[in-house]
Amino acid sequence: LLWKESWELGKNPMASKGSPLHGPRIKLIEQAQKLFLDTKEHTFESKAAEEHAKLLRIQHELEVSTKQAIFVDSSISDTIRTCIVLGNHRAAMKVKTEFKVSEKRWYWLKVFALATIRDWDALEKF
Amino acid sequence: MAQIPNLDNSPLNLKSLREQSQRDLVKILKDIRGKKCLVIEPKLGGSLSLIIQTSLLKEYGIELRHLSAEPVQTDCTKVVYLVPSQRDLMKFISSHVHNDISKGLQREYYIYFVPRREIQCERILEEEKVHHLMTIGEYPLYVVPLDEDILSFELDLAFKECQVDGDTGSLWCIAKAIHKLESSFGVIPNVRAKGKASVLVADILSRMQTEEPVNSSDMAVPEINTLVLIDREVDMVTPMCSQLTYEGLLDEFLHINNGSVELDASIMGGQQEGKKMKVPLNSSDKLFKEIRDLNFEVVTQVLRQKATSMKQDYTEMTTTNQSVSELKDFVKKLNSLPEMTRHINLAQHLSTFTSKPSFLAKLDMEHTIIEASSYESCFEYIEEMIQKQEPLVNVLRLLILFSVTNSGLPKKQFDYLRRELLHSYGFEHMATLNNLEKAGLFKKQESKSNWLTVKRALQLVVEDTDTANPNDIAYVFSGYAPLSIRLVQHAVRSGWRPMEEMLKLLPGPHTETKKAGFASSASFDTLQAASNGVEKIADGRRSLVLVVFVGGVTFAEISALRFLSAQEGMAYDVIIGTTKIVNGSTLAESFFQIYG
Repeated sequence: LLWKESWELGKNPMASKGSPLHGPRIKLIEQAQKLFLDTKEHTFESKAAEEHAKLLRIQHELEVSTKQAIFVDSSISDTIRTCIVLGNHRAAMKVKTEFKVSEKRWYWLKVFALATIRDWDALEKF
Repeated sequence: MAQIPNLDNSPLNLKSLREQSQRDLVKILKDIRGKKCLVIEPKLGGSLSLIIQTSLLKEYGIELRHLSAEPVQTDCTKVVYLVPSQRDLMKFISSHVHNDISKGLQREYYIYFVPRREIQCERILEEEKVHHLMTIGEYPLYVVPLDEDILSFELDLAFKECQVDGDTGSLWCIAKAIHKLESSFGVIPNVRAKGKASVLVADILSRMQTEEPVNSSDMAVPEINTLVLIDREVDMVTPMCSQLTYEGLLDEFLHINNGSVELDASIMGGQQEGKKMKVPLNSSDKLFKEIRDLNFEVVTQVLRQKATSMKQDYTEMTTTNQSVSELKDFVKKLNSLPEMTRHINLAQHLSTFTSKPSFLAKLDMEHTIIEASSYESCFEYIEEMIQKQEPLVNVLRLLILFSVTNSGLPKKQFDYLRRELLHSYGFEHMATLNNLEKAGLFKKQESKSNWLTVKRALQLVVEDTDTANPNDIAYVFSGYAPLSIRLVQHAVRSGWRPMEEMLKLLPGPHTETKKAGFASSASFDTLQAASNGVEKIADGRRSLVLVVFVGGVTFAEISALRFLSAQEGMAYDVIIGTTKIVNGSTLAESFFQIYG
């Protein structure tokens, strides 16, 4: 059983790298998530897979709404940063609450992002 | 100065070893008549550059190429591949062949596997239907002398393969390498091993000895007296700490590769910006030999002293009349000038890194973790690193250090950090985390940590280290004595027996064997006596200890070993064998895994 699990684990990121289409990719990850759920000791992996699928969906939406293909395959932190840099604070907030990003990390990300675009006024206020 | 170290001062005749490998290679190439193109896997090329000069290859009418996915461009009709047995490389080679066939080119192909052929590779060639076109052979290069006292088996991934994939193929190669050494220098009578992989190597080695006995009649006394095998798994703390010796720092910041660093020419006082140059670093450079093992703090002082004394000599020279012999002395000193400038440039470049506050903060944190004094602040430091998205390697180094000294983290915090890591660096690192967990480097806490006991029993933390006049190996990390080297220290001095209890606290089993029936079996006692300073070995030669690190060794550890063997009352020389020279970053990187 463990073997199956780790094989599935290998399949998960492999599938997410290769395919350009997001539909099947998200499905594969969700499949992996269910497989991880079969055993008790893989709850962490299962949750991670769930979040991964969710992230890909959000990133896909963001790419459609901003018409820029820069979101997919970046991490959650990177996504938040990109949103702030683009001035899309609402989207950044949404990602934050969606993944329960801790206040500490949120502040770091915001500070870094604001510094990159040299938005010193916003940094001051914040 | 040549990049190939001259091995004249080696305690063992490593030169003959190198010449043997050289001859083997030349023979392979000579047997293939006519003009040929030699295609080498790039990493292997690095090791080969320590064996043979490229100019020598050209003399045999050989075109050199590096192996890549691109087809080989050459006019030669004979193509010789020199590759390690890796499956992905077979795909390259077969695609080359298919490419040639489609263009209607007729060539003869030769593959020489280094160090040995493996069925799985040949299977791939069969599947690709190119196997029958190949002439297949082996180039048995098991040992590459890196320097007077360092041998590398050039098995980069040995550690990860053993710990994560359960692939023990590399252990066979290590045993074979040692066996090869034994066939030139005699069977090693005392073998001590600690760690799972080490014990396996010792087993394979003794099996090789029965299957293929070394002809010991023509050698009265074996040249190597004791073999100490240490598994990297036993001590993962040391490599994760930042090395503070000159050579260690050079490796941390500039990555020493096959005995040289590559850096921007402008750093070395060159004119052109952006041009890369290679600086060889080995013991043929006398000044480097003198300062490589010193704590970096001291290196700058030594360099300053040398520069001032040279200046003094110079002013004396210009002001007073000198005799011819004094002039000669002076000119001799001038000859060392290029070495001086080289190392002053390098040291200056290094100090731009070491003077950064972030570097000092990191050192501080490493010491706090080793002291195991403040769990909370370490945890927060690492948490902050992840949230700031600092380079993943740096985070993992500290994390491994933290996890190993605490024998894992409590489940809640383990999951929390893992989640933060995935969020900050992307979900594709799931596989990396999984690798680390399998290897036991970053895991859930299951038992209480015994690090404090180990630390105390082996005196790993030494207060008041005098880096200028060190009296203990702790100087290499400014206060922390590498665990691995402490073990070697004990193993050589007294064997495992007095410290059985201690060894049980560390991962993996340990064994100790002594081969009876040899004319030299008494020499173990001689060694003991000699190391106690009571009795010198009869023929006046110092006895030799071969220390093999299964899974890699750092430069700082090598420095510590050299320091030990230079101590008064230690009547033995040390030769170091390793699967590869590593540092915390290269080790951590070997666990990275991203599918694609």
